[in-house]
Order: sequence, then structure tokens, then C-alpha cells
Amino acid sequence: MSTLNSKVPSGDLKNKWDSHKANLKLVNPNNKRKHTVIVVGTGLAGASAAASLAELGYNVLNFCVQDSARRAHSIAAQGGINASKNYPNDGDSVWRLFYDTIKGGDFRAREANVYRLAQVSANIIDQCVAQGVPFAREYGGALANRSFGGAQLSRTFYARGQTGQQLLLGAYQALMKNTSTGKVKMFSRREMLDLVLVDGKARGIIARNLVTGQLEKYAADAVCIATGGYGRVYFLSTNAFNSNATAAWRCYKRGAYFANPCYVQIHPTCIPVSGHYQSKLTLMSESLRNDGRVWVPKRKEDTKKDPNTIAESERYYYLEERYPSFGNLVPRDVASRNAKDVCDQGLGVGASGQAVYLDFRDAIRRDSEKVIREKYGNLFDMYKQITGEDPYKVPMKIYPAVHYTMGGLWVDYNLMTTIPGLYALGESNFSDHGANRLGASALMQGLADGYFVIPYTIGDYIASEKFKPVTTDSPEFFEAEKNVRANINKLMDVGSRGKKTVIEFYKELGQLTWDKVGMSRNAEGLKFAINRYQELREDFWSNLKLTGTSEEYNKYLELAGRVADFLELGELMARDALHREESCGGHFREESQTAEGEAKRNDKDFCYVAAWEYKGANQEPSLHKEDLSFENVKLSERSYK
Amino acid sequence: MLSRILCSSVFQKVIMAVTGLSLIIFVITHLSGNITLYFPDGTPFNKYADFLASLGWLLYAAEIGLVATFLLHIATAIQLKMSNSKARPVGYKVYQSKGGPSKANLSSRFMIVSGIALLGFLVLHIWQFKYGPGIEQGYVVDIDGKQVRDLHRLVIETFQNPLYVAIYVISMVLLGFHLRHGFWSAFQSLGMRNPALHSALYKLAFVLAVLISLGFLGIPVWIYLNSTGVAS
Amino acid sequence: MNLTLQVWRQENATKEGRFVTYKADDISPDMSFLEMLDLVNERLIKAGERPIEFESDCREGICGSCGCVINGQAHGPLRGVTTCQLHMRSFKDGDTIVIEPFRAKAFPIIKDLVVDRGSFDRIIQSGGYVTVKTGPQPDGNATPIGKDVADKAMDAAACIGCGACVAACPNASAALFTSAKVAHMSYLPQGQVEAHKRVVNMIARHDAEGFGNCTNIGECHAACPKEISIQHIAIMKKEYICAAANYEPEIQRSEGAI
Repeated sequence: MSTLNSKVPSGDLKNKWDSHKANLKLVNPNNKRKHTVIVVGTGLAGASAAASLAELGYNVLNFCVQDSARRAHSIAAQGGINASKNYPNDGDSVWRLFYDTIKGGDFRAREANVYRLAQVSANIIDQCVAQGVPFAREYGGALANRSFGGAQLSRTFYARGQTGQQLLLGAYQALMKNTSTGKVKMFSRREMLDLVLVDGKARGIIARNLVTGQLEKYAADAVCIATGGYGRVYFLSTNAFNSNATAAWRCYKRGAYFANPCYVQIHPTCIPVSGHYQSKLTLMSESLRNDGRVWVPKRKEDTKKDPNTIAESERYYYLEERYPSFGNLVPRDVASRNAKDVCDQGLGVGASGQAVYLDFRDAIRRDSEKVIREKYGNLFDMYKQITGEDPYKVPMKIYPAVHYTMGGLWVDYNLMTTIPGLYALGESNFSDHGANRLGASALMQGLADGYFVIPYTIGDYIASEKFKPVTTDSPEFFEAEKNVRANINKLMDVGSRGKKTVIEFYKELGQLTWDKVGMSRNAEGLKFAINRYQELREDFWSNLKLTGTSEEYNKYLELAGRVADFLELGELMARDALHREESCGGHFREESQTAEGEAKRNDKDFCYVAAWEYKGANQEPSLHKEDLSFENVKLSERSYK
Repeated sequence: MLSRILCSSVFQKVIMAVTGLSLIIFVITHLSGNITLYFPDGTPFNKYADFLASLGWLLYAAEIGLVATFLLHIATAIQLKMSNSKARPVGYKVYQSKGGPSKANLSSRFMIVSGIALLGFLVLHIWQFKYGPGIEQGYVVDIDGKQVRDLHRLVIETFQNPLYVAIYVISMVLLGFHLRHGFWSAFQSLGMRNPALHSALYKLAFVLAVLISLGFLGIPVWIYLNSTGVAS
Repeated sequence: MNLTLQVWRQENATKEGRFVTYKADDISPDMSFLEMLDLVNERLIKAGERPIEFESDCREGICGSCGCVINGQAHGPLRGVTTCQLHMRSFKDGDTIVIEPFRAKAFPIIKDLVVDRGSFDRIIQSGGYVTVKTGPQPDGNATPIGKDVADKAMDAAACIGCGACVAACPNASAALFTSAKVAHMSYLPQGQVEAHKRVVNMIARHDAEGFGNCTNIGECHAACPKEISIQHIAIMKKEYICAAANYEPEIQRSEGAI
């Protein structure tokens, strides 16, 4: 399997999805109930897929690590969801949404996938409204829209600052409805720890019951992974505490290719790290940059001074000076890199020196405190809650933080990975965002995959395959279970003798990844990191400290398993970043920049998807390339000067 | 389905609300009759008592209705209390209210306590006055040529005893506490969803509770003070 | 800061629990409450002891995973926040903090401060949804919904399902949780055809799970991290009374719950 077949249908871009749907094989309704599909994850992609597949008649087994499907981290998305509805009549269209997304992704995504995403976006809004999602409305009763970064149109639908929550609850409720009829069997507090292949096809999973610690085997005809991204490899991120890459990583080790792992989105406006004890970072909505001005002191001596005493002439409004036309509203990756740059020059503020000011003084003078309070009151309150400082009086301190991972399991146009019968949906796949994701597009992609893509494409696989009956008693399940058990036993065994806690390893891993595979990367650092990951792994597997047993609720054992996988994934990220000798989107190689220090893409050599194949423990993975051809858009350079 | 509705937590609270509001109407009626005890002359009160007695079967019907309402109110309350206790088998080591919009107070938290105390009071009250000494025991007075029970004298005599005065005062304070939460709560249980009415009724409940409580407890206090000559 | 913690430790659902006292020294006031527990756990693990198990996920107050009763108050002393948003600056040096799990029969303890809130899922399963298949739907603007109505629906829909309402309620009632979903649905035109069945079945499920009865004390409103008002409970009751009044057995035959 050296060439990757993306299975993108031929024909005109606009008709690809329709003609593809018309050609997909169908499963007779009577036969659907004979087939079982496993869905791992209950976020937007997982819950919407599980509910939609159950409605079609498949038996669905749905798994999540949390106590309830409703807690998946999609719930934390604030801003909104894009759709090409053109309700505001500002000239939006499927084409424009497609173009903005593919350009925002720095031309590293598949044209056909992105176009399909833009096409189904409008259906998502209708579907969610029908489910009772309380989107914001105009006084006349029509759906309200707002604008978002990277677009010149108002196409973002929202439900206050809790859009992700409301969309997820819509999908969760659809899931609960199908649970009540028995079409979906819900398994919460279960962690998928291995994928079971029979005759090379995905036929089941091994899951650990997180309450009893028992291993459980589940068989099915197809498996969908919807377990989100791997941002927690940085330890500190805006991702949830339980977010992890374990399910996807075990699929990778079973033969699914992992694509573009180095594409990571760093969000520029997060509350900075305040101390070594910190467990996660909190995002402040991007919308703050509409009114706030970003600056640092011009002189190093001033960085510890009270910001209100620093004169206007002593302030360095670096975004406004460097990017006169976009100013504070440059895209996420540019804003993040510049914040890092000024902090690296020693101009960073705050106790750690790893923060810049986001100042509302001028906006408050211009518009009054009342106006600012109406716009951002809840965000200001949240900031004060966390930091104890009043942003109406003292400038906010912000710093970039890991937010989203564009890379993930490689999938074809049908969302199938390189393992037959194994699908990856939502953030866990690599497909639609290229090297950088636009705001309000993650929710769109998760729901598009779950509601409107997988229900069609999975039928094609199920109709074309001959399924030999497989039960959890088959030898493949026993082999997989044995491996998982051995892994857990090894963790407990090392854990009984070691000295360093999981969190200590986790933080070390996070710091290494942040320093070397973070906002800006260079060959030397990446090579160092690859070695360091290997050393850390050795240390981990000989010096880890765990207490308790594996036969009970044991949060730190769960974490240990995830950290072990992240220690391997980090290395793959570094390898991918090292091989991609260009800067694009979230991936900035210091060796590849323009004279002004901006990202420099290399379309001649790197206009492809890098898909990595696992070759065994401590073996170098092998690289497969899927060339990206752009038939409908012209590759252009992004400039925000 | 029907039994499911009748046994549901919501419907049980509807019963509490309807019976509770009915009992509040009774209490107000009762108080308006008893206002006559504030007059130095016993005749209006005895006339009022005689009027009630003369209703005959109508009175019995009303009394049966009243007893049924009380019993339903009490039985439902006990049932609710029991299922509430079962809902938290292990209690908290420390428990405190968060304040703010919470309506947790002595009134709302101890409805069952004030309710049981009032039930005890009710037994005493009925035993003392309804089944207390009557015409045969010499408590008789002539009004417009008719021999009627001198209930007024019985009331005055009873409240010469400071112990009874104290019991009545405490009980009526408890009634106030019971009504302070009960009146407002009944509307909430019946699904009164208007937010403006919501806070208005909560305030009204306080006023009503204070008025009813003071109205009733003033009677024994007034009589006692009059007889000891503190008040003229 | 140096603190004394009294923490409920319980090995599993069947074993008996007890309070254990721990010293939490050198606590920074900028730590969140959960980060303080993280630190205590690090020290426990280093000492070879079992860490205190508690639940958390997003750590920004939206997922609803975390929650314990802190000095007798669900999610601690502040209003409108979850346990993960509570910071140690809300406490004083030398304080003793009593930490207990959410206690209710319908929330059986799994371990230490971790409880099973599956009963909430089952209440939603019994009717907290609009029956709509995935597929082509009427245009999102086909049915206008006034801004005020959409805003009110959103007020109710903001519930994060954390269970603080149950924990704070002297009767361990889940009326606020149930009513938030009923009220959310009652405002919107979608799903009105199922309104009667929804409210009757959800309340039947609520009762069957062993939650207590709402006695309108309103402690739930004070404890709710999203400050959802008990007016939603009144809405639920009104919906229920209307449903009971319009009760028609022949269309109620295919009930999912119970």
C-alpha cells in the first residue's frame, strides 16, 4: 500500500458529492438491522454519527470516557458555526465558504472534501434548528449571524458564547432518543484501548471499564473513531483534561496512517500560564481583538511595571506596526507567532514574562465602559474570575495556547482510514482544514461528518463487503485483549517501583513539545526533540510511579496510558515537522521564512498530505504522500501586511 | 398513565397547593370571625358562634370538607417528607445555604416541623373550644331572648392562664412561618410562570403571613393583658 | 496558604466511606480548587498512597463533570461558578475545608468524590429531545422565533447537567435539571407535538430514579453554576398540569420510559 487512494470522485467540483452519493451502494433496510457499528466518542462528530446511523437502522455501540455523552469537549466551543446560508445577503455562497476555508488552510487540504463541507453546511443549520437548538435570533425571528476571523462575511451562527454546548446537546439529545429505543447502546466511562482487526478489517474494539477496571470486548462490522484531537500532547492546552489521542493512536499502531501530525493550531488569545501547578489554559474569544489593542513595553525594564504607568510613547503596538492593514486582526497563526517573537526578545510581561497586553483602555475611552461591558461582559468576568484582575482597569494579559489539531488519521473521501471498515470523523481525522483551521469551522466539520457524510459512505462499505460472522470469542479479540492487559500490567508493575508521577512526566512531555514542536520549529530543535522523546519514554517505562490497582477506578492509571501514547505521538509530530521543510498555516519552520519573517510556503516540494505508517516499536515510520491537486483555486501567498 | 400522574411528584405538590390554599381561605375566614374577640363586649362573638352552630347540616358538611382537606394536606405532606428523606440516605457533614436567590429560611426549611406543631395545636384548640364546656356546664348567655353557649367566657377564662397564652402565641408564630413559605409556594407548585407575579406573590406571602399571625396571636395577648389590667 | 482538608474517602459503591484529614500546605491563592486537589494528589502518590478521586474535564465551567460540596455548599462559596472555576483566593490561610461528594440516592458514589449521574441521562432519554431524523429539514428561517423567546429558551438550555441542583436541594430533587430541559423545549415551536408526552414521561422518570420532591426552596437556583431560575420549575409544572388535563390514553400507548 504505497499509493494512497483518496477516492475523490471525478467530474466537476460542484457535482462531485451529488454524483458520488448517487453511486454509493445502498443497504436494504432489513439488512441494516443485521449490522452493528461501533462509534467511539460522543462529541459533535461521534454523537451525530451514532444518532444518524441508529436512525437508519444500524445497531450502534457508542463509547465515551466521560460519565455522560454530554460532556465531550465539543461542549466548550464558544464562538459559532459557519454555514453558507447567505441570510444577511452579503454575497455568501458555497463557493466563498469553500474558498475561505481552503485559503485559510494555506492550501494544504483536499479541494473535494472542503467543497463538500461547504455544501452541507447549510443543512447542518436546518437540522439543528429542527432539533430545538436555540440559536440567536433577530427581533423579527430570523436567525442571527456574526462575522468571524478569516472571512469578510457574516456567516457564523451562534447561541450566545455557548454554541458548541448547544449543538452538542442537540446531537446528545438525538443520541439519547435512540438510546431509549435501544438502537444505540451507550457505554460511558469506557476507554477504547485497542482496535481488533479480523482479516485486515476493523471488526471490534477492546475497552476498559473505567469504574471496575475490567477489559471488555465488543465486535462490530465497522468502527468509527470520533475521539477528537491530540492537543493534550502539550499538557497545557485549551483541551479538556481527559482529551487524549489513545484511541486514534492505537488505530495508527494497527495500521491506520496518521496524516500531517505537525499541523497544530495555536490560539493567540488565551489566559497565560500563572504557575507550575496550572492544569489547563482558558481561551478568551478571538472577538476581543476587534476592540482590544495588543502591545508590550518598548523597553525590557518596563515589563514588570504597572502597565497603566507606561506612557503611550513607551508602548510597542507590534501588530499594528508590523501589519498596518490588518493590525490587531491578523489571523490566529500570525498573531500567535508575533506574541512569541516579542516575548522571546524579552519584552513579555507578567510574572513569567510569557504574556502580552490586550488593552481596552482606548476602546473604553471611545465607546464607554457600558458598551464594552455589553459586548464582552461575560468574557471580562471570566478573566477576572481566573486571574483576580479587573480588565476594565488593568490591561488583560494574554498568551497563545494550543487549541486544535488539524492533523489526524488519514481518511479518504468516504472518511475511511487505510484500514478497511475503520472510519475517522471530526477532529480525529486530518481532512478538511489543511494546515490551519478558520474560526467556527470545527463545529461545522464535526457535524458534517456525523450527520451528512458517514451515514451515506458507511453503507457503501457495508453493502460491498461480505462479512464473515465474528464474535468476541475469536482469537483476534483474545490476542488484542492480551496485549492491552500486558500493557496495563506493565504500567502497574513499573508504577509500583518508580519515583516520578504521571503528571511530572506529562508536564515534561508538554514542555518539550511546546518548546521544540510548538509555535516555531527548526531542524536542530526537532532533532533534539526526537531524541528527547525516546529518552523520556525510557524513563517513563522504568521510573513511573502509580498507586492503587488496575481493578478499580484509577484516574492516574488512565492518564499514564494516555501519556505513554503521547510520548510516541510527540515523536511522530517532530518527525513530520522535520520533514516538512516549509512554513504553512500552523507549521512554522524558521528555515523557511521571507525576508520580513513571514511564513514561506513551498508548493513545489510540499503540496501533499504526509501520511505516516507505523512500522513497529522504536522503528522509523514510513512516509506516504498524497499529492494535492488544485483544479479550481489558484495557490496564492497569504499576506496581511 | 392516570395513576402515574396522580402519584407523580408534581401532582402531589398540586394537592399540597390546592389544599393549602383552601386552608388559607379557611384561616382568613376564621380570623375575620374572631376579630370580634377584640371587642370588650362578648355578644358579637357569641352571636357569631351561635350563627355557625345554627347552620346545622351545612356546618357538618363544611366541617367534613375541612377535615378532609386537612387530612389530605397532612397525609400528602408526610408522604412527600418520607420520599424526600429517602432521596438522600447519607446526609452532609456540613450544609449551608448559598443565599442570593435561594428561598431557604426557617420557614421553607421547616415546613414539616411547623406543620406537625400546628397539628398538635389544632387538637388542643378543638378539644378546648369545640368540645370544651358548653350550655350544660353553665357556659350560657341570653342573647335576644335565646339561650346560647357563652363561648366568649370560655375564651376569656382560658386566656387567663399564661401557659395557654404562650402556647397560642407560639403556635400562631409557627402558623405565620408556615404561611410565609406555603402561600407563595402553592402558586409555584401550580405553575405560576409569570416572573413579575413571582416576586410580587413572594412579598405578598410575607405580608399575609404577618397579618394572619399577628391577627390571631393578638387575641390571647389582648385578653390576657386586659384581665391583668396592663391594658385598660 | 496552609489549609486543612477533610475529604470524604470511599473505596467503591459498596464500601463504607469516612472523612480523612489532609494537610494542604504551600497552596497558591491563584490555584483553582481542582489544581489544589491535583497538588495534594501528587503528594499522596509520592507517599505511596491512593490519590483522592474526583471528576473533572473541561476545567472551564461548561462540561459539567466536576463538582463536590465544599463546606456545605455545592461548587463552593461563589455563585455562578463550577468547582473548577473556584480559586483558592476564596479561602483564607489556616482554613479547614470539608469536601464531600454530591449526595443523593439517585447519584450513587463510585469512589471518593466521584458519583454516577447516569440518572440525568435517563431523564433526557425519557423525553428530553425533539424527535427528528437526520436529513433534509425545513429551512432554519421557515419558522420565525422571536428574539425574546429564543433568549428565554437559551436561558433554560444553558444547563450543564452537573447535578449541583440535586446536591444543594434539601430534598435531593432534580426538578431544576428536569425543568430546564422541559422549559427549553416549551419555548420553541419545534417538538411541540410531543410536549405532553415529554413532560409526563420525564417527571415519571425523575421520580422513578429516586430523586426527592421540589418544595420550592430555591437552593438549586443559588447553587446552579449557570444561575438557572426556579421559574423554570413553575413552567414545568404548568406544562405538566396542562398535559395531565389533556391526557388522552390512545395516543400515549407507545411510551419509551419505564
